[in-house]
Amino acid sequence: MKISTKLIGLSVGCVVIVGGLAVTLVGELRTLSNGYNNLLEVEVRQAEAARVAQVDFKKQVQEWKDILLRGHNPDDLAKYTQQFHEQEAKVKAEAQALSGSVEEPATRQLLLDFLAADDTLSKKYEAAYSAYVNGKFDFKAADKMVRGQDRPPTDLFDKVVAQLTQLVEKRVAAQEAEAIRQRNTALFVAGALLLLVSLLGFVVVKGVLMRLGRLKAVSDRLAKADVEGLSIDISGNDEVGEFGQSLQGVAAAIEELLAIAAH
Amino acid sequence: MGAQIKGRYEDVGREFGAVGRMKLAMLTKISSVKAEEIPDSAANLKLMDDAIAELRKTM
Repeated sequence: MKISTKLIGLSVGCVVIVGGLAVTLVGELRTLSNGYNNLLEVEVRQAEAARVAQVDFKKQVQEWKDILLRGHNPDDLAKYTQQFHEQEAKVKAEAQALSGSVEEPATRQLLLDFLAADDTLSKKYEAAYSAYVNGKFDFKAADKMVRGQDRPPTDLFDKVVAQLTQLVEKRVAAQEAEAIRQRNTALFVAGALLLLVSLLGFVVVKGVLMRLGRLKAVSDRLAKADVEGLSIDISGNDEVGEFGQSLQGVAAAIEELLAIAAH
Repeated sequence: MGAQIKGRYEDVGREFGAVGRMKLAMLTKISSVKAEEIPDSAANLKLMDDAIAELRKTM
């Protein structure tokens, strides 16, 4: 094979390897990016929604306390009652939406348990509210009816938030591990390909240099017309081989010239 | 060995002189000295004859 063909082949090989590596890396990056996008769009969003619902539930409880504290004033009663019902509806809607989107069975069950506990709590708030309004705003009696009743749903939702946060942490850790694995694979493949190309280049260059060295030795002897016993054993179909064949002709011509001169 | 090849050299020497002999050696890569060491094989004789024909075209 011609040296030029070998060098072109080596260059094309390098371009193909680098191109292939680049395409593979882009593909790996896309997979990684999709993984992070999925994490943001699903798990992180769910954890965030859970935290929002958790806060809204606490606001609902706070609105109830506002009713008891300030409900003796008709304007305040109307205001805080409306705000309480708004928060109540909001919490239910948020918890229902979350229970529809969460796939993890244990967390979903916790959400369903929360919804059931919240329904029970709503009925108790309703009864306590009637007692409060009809009992001349006796906040102590009303409070007694629901005191501590918000604890079970609060605990349930705290568990939901904790589980979803843990799920996000697990997914982030998995994504990081995947990123490290892909980085290591890319480094290994790039290193192996670089080594392969270097070895191929070294073999090609060393082969050419060795044969050129032998040609130089022949050429040095021809320069001195020292052709006696000169052996030009440069094989191959490349440029160096062709040059060696030409030198064989030159050597024969010098030998013939010396023979003519000798006669 | 190589008597016929050597004979070709003598013919070329008579026809084209020393330059012809040198060109023949260049084309065949076989000098008249080497001719004494190699056999008069059909391949070698054909190589010589083809080179002489080439010489006749150019000289």
